[in-house]
Amino acid sequence: MSAPERSSRTGPGLRRNAWLIARREYVDRVRTRTFVAATAVLAVVAIGLALAPIGLRYLDRGTIARIGVVAETEPALTGTVIQILDEQLNRVPQGTDAAAWERPYRFETVADPAAGRAAVDADVLAGLVMIQRRSDGGLAFQFLTSGSPAGQTAVGLQFATFGAAVLEWYARAPKGGPVPFEMPTFEVVATRTASNEGTTLDPQTAASRSVLSTVLIVLIFVTLTVYGMWVATSVAAEKSTRVMELLISAATPRELLVGKVVGVGGAGLTQYAAIIVPAALVVLFQDRIASAVLGPAPLGGEAPLEGLTLPILGAFLLFFLLGFVLYALLYAAAGSLVSRQEDVQQLALPLSLVSMASYIAAVAGIGAVGSTVMVILSFIPFSSPFVMLSRIMLGRVEPWEVALSVTILAASSLAILGLASRIYATGVVLYGQRPGVREFFRAARAAVR
Amino acid sequence: MPRGGYPPAMALVVDRLVKRFGPVVALDGMDFRVEPGQIFGFLGANGAGKTTTIRIVLDLLRPDEGTTTWHGTPTADLARRTWGYLPEERGLYPRMNVLDQLAFFAGLYGIDRRDAVRTIRDWLERLRIPDAAGRRTDELSKGNQQKVQFIAAIVHDPEVLIMDEPFSGLDPVNSSILRAAFFEMRARGKTLVFSTHQMETVEALCEAIVIVDRGRVVVGGPIRDVRRASGRQVVRIALDGDGRAERHDLVGWLDGFPGVRLTRPGADYVELTVPREVDPQAILRAVLDRGERVARFEIADPSLEEIFIERVGIRPGDDEDLAPATTTASAARAATP
Repeated sequence: MSAPERSSRTGPGLRRNAWLIARREYVDRVRTRTFVAATAVLAVVAIGLALAPIGLRYLDRGTIARIGVVAETEPALTGTVIQILDEQLNRVPQGTDAAAWERPYRFETVADPAAGRAAVDADVLAGLVMIQRRSDGGLAFQFLTSGSPAGQTAVGLQFATFGAAVLEWYARAPKGGPVPFEMPTFEVVATRTASNEGTTLDPQTAASRSVLSTVLIVLIFVTLTVYGMWVATSVAAEKSTRVMELLISAATPRELLVGKVVGVGGAGLTQYAAIIVPAALVVLFQDRIASAVLGPAPLGGEAPLEGLTLPILGAFLLFFLLGFVLYALLYAAAGSLVSRQEDVQQLALPLSLVSMASYIAAVAGIGAVGSTVMVILSFIPFSSPFVMLSRIMLGRVEPWEVALSVTILAASSLAILGLASRIYATGVVLYGQRPGVREFFRAARAAVR
Repeated sequence: MPRGGYPPAMALVVDRLVKRFGPVVALDGMDFRVEPGQIFGFLGANGAGKTTTIRIVLDLLRPDEGTTTWHGTPTADLARRTWGYLPEERGLYPRMNVLDQLAFFAGLYGIDRRDAVRTIRDWLERLRIPDAAGRRTDELSKGNQQKVQFIAAIVHDPEVLIMDEPFSGLDPVNSSILRAAFFEMRARGKTLVFSTHQMETVEALCEAIVIVDRGRVVVGGPIRDVRRASGRQVVRIALDGDGRAERHDLVGWLDGFPGVRLTRPGADYVELTVPREVDPQAILRAVLDRGERVARFEIADPSLEEIFIERVGIRPGDDEDLAPATTTASAARAATP
């Protein structure tokens, strides 16, 4: 008999064993019929949601944007300008049946600027074009809008007003000799501006960002909770089938925990990708799908996913992964404390409450991302995945703030790994105990002792 | 206890373990040693502290006091693959196929898949379930699942095999297959420690035992010594002729032998428990003097079951709802703070 080799308690090593456990977990999970079915159903739902805007536009296609035109000092100008604008913006797109095509814009004369502005504010008018004669004889156009200053309507109007100015100049030119052409000016005045900590976002981007921010926060919340519960129930299943007794004598709690979180996380990401990627493709190609369904748009649609930049996507993935690790480790520890799978929900409740509170805080704070509360929450590990993300998207965040938040989050995950390993090591050999919130904290307290 | 030719440290030494779960004392000076290459019986009622001791040896629990060593090294410092563990509560991944499952466990011990598969197929063959390899675990009978679990405990070729109730739930055929596997493991130089409530199995397999009760050893050593140490013998007498040796016939003359008790009355033969100071030959003489014809007279050491009952006060495996069992439950409840 050989003397026992003296080696580290971890045997083949954390990475190898955690990888083996993760792989087993992943394969076991993605092969189940429920996984495949749920993924397919959710993917279809997500594609449906992604198509919703096109559906709305389809329903909305008869709606005409009313734009007022006013020239207070030279009312005669309005007629000419309206004619040009109508020709330019209501041009029938190529390949469209002119008889069936409906004009997207209706231009109308407005008595005076004040009335026009009131109509814009009341959303009766989509915008107001105000014309004035400059001292040099050129025309000054002002476009008052509640929409995006950089939107398609504004861009289209800028071209059209130039054309109107040329025509007006030509009509005005005396027979004797030409008057020099003065370039018209075109200025967009947005009636609704959003500003964040000195950075002014145009209303379109601001709106798009807060919608996007909400969507991403909801995604993180749902993922943390759903996949976190996967981790907890999976641990509880190993415990209730007693396979845990074999596992714990073969591998360390740390290996089991890391493997579990990586395996379930991988399965979660797979499902995530299967749901999100087709939906994202639909969103990206929304224009083409829309023109196939609705016919060509007169001025092109609004850019989809406006405000989603690479840094934001990167931040989302980073905070999502770190947040998942943090929560999943605790979910695993919670799962290790119950003997029956039915009890998982009860013991995971404190965790679900924490993530829900963070989620609610992040969503509620979207309008005030610069507030002290939000700044503090963006550094606290449990809420930072949610809150820092909305700060990045909607406010001004210094790079060091992001770095600090990420560092705190990663360091806490490491600390939680130590704590969760101890809870897990204690929990997996306990059977027959009535689970509850109290037990969770008792185990946690015992673990840090 | 004999040292079996090994230096004192060359053994599995459980040294004065104390473990409390809150107010419950689960181990109260648990102390014994298992010689290398032995098949060792770890006996005790439920709740006596067997599983707690095993978990401390495997470093799944830490003791409050005392140490466990293997060849002089604290067991907590040893590689996990030193040990093979068959837990009392069986459990495997129900949906996984047997081969993948066993290769997975082998992998956790650092065995690469090709070697593992060879070992697994060999053992499946040996345990007469070669067809199980490609089947899902939950499709196997309970007995065959138990064999798979046994393979999971030895797939990494451990030095010491620790098994909690390896024979429970096995039919006689499977029991004898498993016994053969035990001898095979011993022939390979492995040390086997197991707990059971089946005393005949212990007598058939073990070289040494301990009987534990309330967290401490009540008796231990080589089986022969344990039996001898009981301080009494068993005498079985069968008389010639039908039904002559009934209880009422014997009660009168047994009074002449202080300390002798009738432990098994019966029509075919009677069994008496005799203290060491009484010479069994005197009993035989007394029976002959009464004019009886003796068809069978046998002097034996008491069975392990008798010793167990005498030392622990209950029949092995008969104790589910008695005090020690409740102690376990409260121990588990108290283990968290």
